[in-house]
Amino acid sequence: MRKVWLIIKREYLTRVKTKAFVISTLIVPLAGIMLVLLIAFLISHRPQHTVRLAIVDDAGGLAPSVKHSLEHSPDSSTPQFIVTDTFDHSNTAEVERDLRSHVNSGALDAYLIVPADLTQAIELHTKNPGNFAVLAPLTAALNQALIGARLSARGIHVDDIDQIARGVDLQVIKVSQSGEAVEKGQTMGIAIGLVILLYSSLLAYGIITMRSVLEEKTTRTMEVLISSVRPFELLTGKILGVAGTAFTQFLIWIVSLGLLASYGAAMAAMFNPSSSFPAMHVPLSLLIWVACFFFGGYFLYSAMFAAVGAACSNEQDAGQLQWLAMGPLVFAISFYWLVMIDSTSTLSLVLSEIPFLAPVLMPLRLSIQAPPAWQLALSVVLLFGTIVGVIWASAKVYRVGVLMYGKRPTLPELLRWLRYS
Amino acid sequence: MEAISLENVTKSYDGVHAVNDVTLRVRRGAILGLLGPNGAGKTSTIRMIMNILVPDAGSIRVFDQPVSDETRQSIGYLPEERGLYPRMQVRAVIVFLAALRGMPEPEANRLAREWLDRFELGDWSEKQVHDLSKGMQQKVQFISAILHKPPLIILDEPFSGLDPVNVATVKDVMLEMRGQGSTVVLSTHRMEQVERLCDSICLIDKGRNILDGDLRAIKQSYGKNTIQIEFNGPDGFLSHPAVSSVNRFANGAEAKLKPGAAAQEFLKAAVQSSAQITRFDVLEPSLNDIFIEKTGHA
Repeated sequence: MRKVWLIIKREYLTRVKTKAFVISTLIVPLAGIMLVLLIAFLISHRPQHTVRLAIVDDAGGLAPSVKHSLEHSPDSSTPQFIVTDTFDHSNTAEVERDLRSHVNSGALDAYLIVPADLTQAIELHTKNPGNFAVLAPLTAALNQALIGARLSARGIHVDDIDQIARGVDLQVIKVSQSGEAVEKGQTMGIAIGLVILLYSSLLAYGIITMRSVLEEKTTRTMEVLISSVRPFELLTGKILGVAGTAFTQFLIWIVSLGLLASYGAAMAAMFNPSSSFPAMHVPLSLLIWVACFFFGGYFLYSAMFAAVGAACSNEQDAGQLQWLAMGPLVFAISFYWLVMIDSTSTLSLVLSEIPFLAPVLMPLRLSIQAPPAWQLALSVVLLFGTIVGVIWASAKVYRVGVLMYGKRPTLPELLRWLRYS
Repeated sequence: MEAISLENVTKSYDGVHAVNDVTLRVRRGAILGLLGPNGAGKTSTIRMIMNILVPDAGSIRVFDQPVSDETRQSIGYLPEERGLYPRMQVRAVIVFLAALRGMPEPEANRLAREWLDRFELGDWSEKQVHDLSKGMQQKVQFISAILHKPPLIILDEPFSGLDPVNVATVKDVMLEMRGQGSTVVLSTHRMEQVERLCDSICLIDKGRNILDGDLRAIKQSYGKNTIQIEFNGPDGFLSHPAVSSVNRFANGAEAKLKPGAAAQEFLKAAVQSSAQITRFDVLEPSLNDIFIEKTGHA
């Protein structure tokens, strides 16, 4: 154990001290700060441009209600509108030519033409047809006015229209052993976030683990090293040392981004008191299981990268084989929908017990419906057993391949090396 | 008890014998020179003693134990394949390697300072390894092979790449270690170092042990048949019937006598010739001569 600790320490310290580590660790919080500052700047310097609009209303009676709902929008985030002119039943070529010249000269931003027959399209004439920020509130206001007009034509009182036209909110309540909770998608969010975190951390640190295993071969220190350490100790130390580096970096990122986010939330609340963030209430046991699967997944796949490093003698060869390490993870993601459809099926159970798939599929099952404890425990045991198994097999391959400089092993050779003791 | 014993050890790669039926014993507290032309099987033999390679046949024991991961712990090893972590500080590398071999870090640190000073690397101890020259790196590697005071030290080509001053320091250290009871095995091509340093030799050629034993006994067994002569004038006397071969130099020659021939007869012929003799020595054969004679090539 002492040797493993020495190797962890060396891997960790030599990596944490590099410029690359310091820069990449600082760049994420700095980018976050820049983003927050940029957003703050944009909020405080939002262009106060109001859209000047004219309405040519051939249908008659629609213009006032469109004007009303546009000019009294409660939503402060959409552009402000001013309806400068309305023309009732006067769609002459002259009016339109007039309005067009106003738009061209910049005195007017747009004009609407409401046809007499409302089954026809309403036309918006503007210089800037791609401005979606204008289109959405405009469409909403037109719809509201149109539905209002139709309903009141059928004898429904104007004050009742809002009441009638209101839709429903579907609130999903999750039933679990611990009682009922309003589901706002946070547990599913955790499952998906975990896969993204697992994938990206392996993308960043898997190859570093692989290179770390290759380091003794490329620097020719291997003969000295393996005359004092067992390959199993060496590989375990390397995987843990690189993981320590990775987790240090993630911890710094999470803490600094967390601080930034709470600062950002406070600032957003200051500017816009009506917005609020949904409160998270995730049970602790769920978090603990999810953490088990995250760390298990990270270590299993780093061990896979270490195995590729152990089987190769240089980075070029390893680079060509590194897809082998990540392959099962991508494979696991392709089973996501199968488990999502029915997380309690036998297929879901079997898939989520397979160590290479469990880090992805078990958190998903947890987020949908907590599986029985024995299934979780079995999966964790299998996962960690497989990690030890992968490192053990890699150590054997490493041990035997030690002196095969400059030659990439063939698959039969690899299998033979595994049998060799 | 022997420090190392090899019994009928054989190792082949793709059907080619790198080491062929080698039997060898290394006495405790001795310095053994492992000699042989390039590709003779020296490094393969060393790697098998280090349990890096496994012999196809035969057995190897270190301090009377079959080789294993444990026996390696008592060996200080300088591999032929040199290398240190390039992005580590010089002293940190030495301490790391010593700690892996079981030495407590504070003690390793103290000893590392002493050794770095002795090899005139004290000013470099905080520098990164890749800032050092090849020769300096080799000294660092030598230090890390001996720092943990192993009872057995195996050095594969310890002198290659070193200047004469450092060759002398390395040689002194080896003699010191022997004085402290360590056994040293070194492989080299440098015969003059072996002659001055080694108690015994093992000559390997084409994977076979063709000569081994006490260095002095081996040389005596060859008898005093080598004559070093320096002279001015014609060299016709060199073709005397007692002489079997001649190696001519600018101001003299080294002549080898036929078995049973008397040096006296040759000296007489030389004096009677018109050459002016300035030096005449009767010597044991040099290790170089024995090496060439045994292997058929230099």
